[in-house]
Amino acid sequence: MENHVAPLEGACKNYEEDLVLFYYGESGAAEGAAMEQHMAQCGRCRNFVDDLGRVLPQMAPLPELPQPFWDSYFRETIAKLDAHEARQRQSWWRGWFQPLNGWLVPTFGTAVVAALAIALVLEKNDLVSFIGTPSPNIPAEVLVDSNQLEFFKSLEILESLSTLEEQDGGKADPKTSDILDRRAAWSLA
Amino acid sequence: MKTRKLFLIVLGFFLLLESGALADGDDWRKLNPKEKDSIRRNYERWEKLPPQDKEHLRQEWDRWNRMPQDRRDRLKQRFNDHRRNQD
Repeated sequence: MENHVAPLEGACKNYEEDLVLFYYGESGAAEGAAMEQHMAQCGRCRNFVDDLGRVLPQMAPLPELPQPFWDSYFRETIAKLDAHEARQRQSWWRGWFQPLNGWLVPTFGTAVVAALAIALVLEKNDLVSFIGTPSPNIPAEVLVDSNQLEFFKSLEILESLSTLEEQDGGKADPKTSDILDRRAAWSLA
Repeated sequence: MKTRKLFLIVLGFFLLLESGALADGDDWRKLNPKEKDSIRRNYERWEKLPPQDKEHLRQEWDRWNRMPQDRRDRLKQRFNDHRRNQD
């Protein structure tokens, strides 16, 4: 069952607040007498006070909060104020990171990923072999290409290939240049 | 701001993948010091060769790769024997 509350009728604007105080019995003696005198002549204000008596009891009263609630509320407020002051005291170094606000997490994440990437590279071989064996003059595309590495590893054999084939009883490549033949002969001598 | 964050995240993943690829493809670091030294010397020598010698060696390399494995092993063995005798 719904409780319909009729809206309050308007009272005289000058008396409205005083009428509420009058209703609650919080007007002084002189003001109370003035209100009664006014209401004797003003039907609207009299109806307004009657309506207050009708409407206000239907409104939910504020719950009575126990004293422990107010004690803990006070303690929490003091603690929050202390924490706020502590933050204020620390803010001199936080100010340094102020421009990075919103960037700290992605920056930290990127740094972690970069560190992980370096660790991945280094974990394949130990740090000494990674740093201690520089490969001067050899381009990176050669270093990462196993076919080219094999080619340069076999270069001496390739230079001597025709001679080796002749010695092995096979047919030497007729295109072998004199220079390479001389070099091969020298290397096999 | 969101675009920059997204860019950083994508960059991070790219770094991660790239490092993995580099780590996997870097055959150089799997070689022993003697092999590395040999390759380094041969590369430096190769750089000084005239173009026709380079072309010839490329052809020899193709021919070498087309040879049967047993013949390659035999020639390599012969080469190593000569080298040992030389030392």
